[in-house]
Amino acid sequence: MKPIHALLTALAFSALTPAMADEMNEPWAERAISGHVDQSTLKGRLDRETLDALRDKGETLFGAKFTELDGAGRKVATQAIIPTKRKRPPDLEFQRIAGMDANSCSSCHSHPVIGGAGDFTVNVFVNEGFVNADFDTVDPQFSNERNTNHLMGAGLVELLAREMTADLHRIRKETLHTARETGEPVTANLVTKGISFGRITAEPDGILDIAKIEGVDTDLVIRPFSQKGVMTSLRQFGVNAMNQHHGMQADERFGTRWTGEADFDEDGHDNELTEGDISALTAWQATLPPPIVMVPDNERWREAAAKGGAMFDTIGCNECHVRALPLKSLDFTDPGPFDAAGTLRDAEIDGAIYDLSLMDWAKDLETNDKGEYLIPTFGDLKRHVITDRQVAALGNELLGQRFVERNEFQTSELWGIGSTAPYGHRGDFTTLDGVIRAHGGEARASRDAYIDLSDTDRSALIAWLKTLVIPR
Amino acid sequence: MKKLAFLILLAGLTGVSPLAAQDNSGSGDASETAADLPMDVPVMVEEALAAGIDHQYTGPWEYFVGGGAAAFDCNGDRLPDLAVAGGTSKASLYVNRSAIGGELRFEEKADALPDDTRDKVTGLYPLDIDNDGHRDLVVLRVGENIILKGGPDCSFTEANRAFAFNGGRAWTTAFAATFEPHLPFPTLAFGNYVDRSAPGSPWGTCHDNELIRPIGGGERPDYSEPSMLTPGYCALSMLFTDWNRSGEPALRVTNDRQYYREGQEQLWRVSPDRPPRPYRRSDGWRRMQIWGMGIAEADLNADGYPEYALTSMGDTKLQTLDSEAEPDRPVYRDIAFDENATAHRPYTGDDLKPSTGWHAEFQDFNNDGRLDLFIAKGNVQQMQDFAAYDPDNLLLGKAGGGFLEAGDKAGIALPRRGRGAAIADFNMDGMLDLAVVNREAPVSLFRNAGGRTAAGGTRPMGNWLEIELRQDGVNRDAIGATVTVKSGNETRTRKVHVGGGHASGSAGFIHVGTGTAERAEVRIQWPDGEWSAPFRVFANNFVVIERGATTAQYWYPPE
Repeated sequence: MKPIHALLTALAFSALTPAMADEMNEPWAERAISGHVDQSTLKGRLDRETLDALRDKGETLFGAKFTELDGAGRKVATQAIIPTKRKRPPDLEFQRIAGMDANSCSSCHSHPVIGGAGDFTVNVFVNEGFVNADFDTVDPQFSNERNTNHLMGAGLVELLAREMTADLHRIRKETLHTARETGEPVTANLVTKGISFGRITAEPDGILDIAKIEGVDTDLVIRPFSQKGVMTSLRQFGVNAMNQHHGMQADERFGTRWTGEADFDEDGHDNELTEGDISALTAWQATLPPPIVMVPDNERWREAAAKGGAMFDTIGCNECHVRALPLKSLDFTDPGPFDAAGTLRDAEIDGAIYDLSLMDWAKDLETNDKGEYLIPTFGDLKRHVITDRQVAALGNELLGQRFVERNEFQTSELWGIGSTAPYGHRGDFTTLDGVIRAHGGEARASRDAYIDLSDTDRSALIAWLKTLVIPR
Repeated sequence: MKKLAFLILLAGLTGVSPLAAQDNSGSGDASETAADLPMDVPVMVEEALAAGIDHQYTGPWEYFVGGGAAAFDCNGDRLPDLAVAGGTSKASLYVNRSAIGGELRFEEKADALPDDTRDKVTGLYPLDIDNDGHRDLVVLRVGENIILKGGPDCSFTEANRAFAFNGGRAWTTAFAATFEPHLPFPTLAFGNYVDRSAPGSPWGTCHDNELIRPIGGGERPDYSEPSMLTPGYCALSMLFTDWNRSGEPALRVTNDRQYYREGQEQLWRVSPDRPPRPYRRSDGWRRMQIWGMGIAEADLNADGYPEYALTSMGDTKLQTLDSEAEPDRPVYRDIAFDENATAHRPYTGDDLKPSTGWHAEFQDFNNDGRLDLFIAKGNVQQMQDFAAYDPDNLLLGKAGGGFLEAGDKAGIALPRRGRGAAIADFNMDGMLDLAVVNREAPVSLFRNAGGRTAAGGTRPMGNWLEIELRQDGVNRDAIGATVTVKSGNETRTRKVHVGGGHASGSAGFIHVGTGTAERAEVRIQWPDGEWSAPFRVFANNFVVIERGATTAQYWYPPE
């Protein structure tokens, strides 16, 4: 009986399909996705018009309120980065902790503009989603709570990370080569763009001592995204986030190739996001304008900011919050060079180049005498221990994440900080003064120096930080 | 009964025979392409001649079986070199000169193996017997077996006298080794085939097998006191395996029913300081008679207990512990049909006669995190009732379990009579390559070029790890260790062993595909049962783990 029943059902469905399809395309259709982006059209260097069109699609996806007709929800899939089945469907589709926890990207990345940061109300809960996928508590033993970062200038951040990774890999290759050639162990400092990531020692037989690597993963891939610095690319992050927050599963990780199923979350929708869709999202984020240093109209603020900016350097904040990192190229290749399987890789397709120099904001980037762009992120793309025994407020997580210890975080890029309160990885601090005072560990000396400043000097420093804004 | 009734019903409904109803007899729709399969299909490029390997396994009846290969590093560069049995042709050793990630290149080292040991070779297994850091080579022969002591730069010297090893005069076709507790050197097991000198040979005249424990505590092994494993049933593969997680490996032997009378498959209890004893019917061991040719072991269902693929003529068996099994009651049932792994006849071409399977090995060829099963296939010689064109199988593991045949789509379906094989990453690109020894046909050497695309090109496949274990003192290569690789909810396990397959063994990096996982926690259960701390490693790396170390090290191939 079953096959006959299935056959009748199939016939009935196919009879309905054209009408349903028409309904899907009506202006009032309850869908956010009316068509997918064809990846095969995205090859080589995109001209401004093509890039703009792709960005538009990306922005649409970023702002889309996905519906169950699009494939929103993940009935039997957890939020895990590695495709993982739930033990049972959740009682509720939306759930603030294990997710899905948001209807759209822009519902959190919204302040002060789309792609910006989020208030404490839109904190997310980070759990690997492998074991306790259905936990229903915010107890930190089950999850790390994180404030929403802004994405402005994210393409430049990823490009910096790529160039730094390439430098580190070159150093590693040369060190190994020299050790093999000389028959002697060779030690090399891992320095790129002026940032030190410790050192490596290569043995003549090709063994690499990785014990002295600092602030970066042992594969020497700088992963610039997330508070911990554990995500390689906007593309990888996009695939992760689309599943975690919206239950929208990208074919490049959750599709048949890796899971054996076109509808891994079993919500009745195959291939919810195509490679092209993820490219559109990536292109839009990669081309977002970077934050700026605002010149206040108020003269006293201008004067205070000038003083505070100098103070920032004097007390050593700039040792980690490095004012600017030099970038050689504005060519953003997508897919990128350092992603692993499960995120589309550059060797898998003929990808596209998003030329960030086509963006209007690119003309405002400063350059140095080598023609390198100076990217004022006020960060170093390196992880640091940020707590100690006395100053431990930022050590409020109990779970490590992706091999990174609980009290170790990537230096926050300060660009845009004036627009993105509250502060700290969990958004625990309502003032900049508060979050500066919470810096311990490797930042302890600067933090102590800040506290030792006069009230006027501390105020000046805040005045300067408040000029690092995301324009509306 | 249930299964039989189901098959009859199925046959009635579909109008085809029960065997034909199972999809693994062929690749299905002839128009189906690699892109139609729900996983990456590796493109295996045959390039033996271009790589410098021109070698055949030849000879009369005695060499209908055997034909082994050994992949192991013998010159300290960590690239797997390759030794190949030749039967009446000379066994040869090829030094790996492949460019990293490039085409395969080998250079024959004519003086590597002493010339008088290169004849009549049926099989080869590498292991470091005397714990000197150089892998030695156990050479199985028609006649005296040889232990070749490994030295630097792929130099080998005969060590039978030095190790007090009597190579005998049997026709040896199987080998396995284990390190037993408190013994300074490995215990060796040799599996023999037909005793040609016995009256009535070859029918019912299977030679006994041997288990040789080292005696004394000298600096060099002393293998002067073998024990006989009686009865022998014409062994073609043997493997020490911890079937019940007791920490005490037993010796599994697969036997060729072609020549034994009243024989069966065997499992020998090998307890320290005690004579080996076979499990019997009273122990729960079920009699099974097959043309046993090769053994492969893997924990397919991640329950901690290994499954076994047993190649034969006709159906390959895939055994798992039955619910009636107990810690010392090895009761197995066959799940090959359920898992689509019977591989009972050629999956392509018009020859519908039963297959003849030889070397079997579980590995992950497409790095999707799921184990695949390679089976070398080939007619014994000219057996009319069995397929003449009998291509090797590449059964790709499916998400959720079971296998799909992809041998033709991968490019390994050659008209050659396969025997032994060695699976190793010869060009150190993270993707497993394959050497197959063929009877009276050239060795096939397949380079894994990546996953096939719809357009006919290749692309990178899943993430991977290759792991080398090292420990000081006895058992340098940690034979008997278990490697667990945990990413998310999935734990992948590998056992380090010497034995199994068909007359072929490999040693060196342990390859683990990790699919979409870009990092993993690796734990080692060392051969004495001690668990290591977890090592946190990133995928797509060669990892070296030394016992006692707190962190793993990475190794990088020369660029």
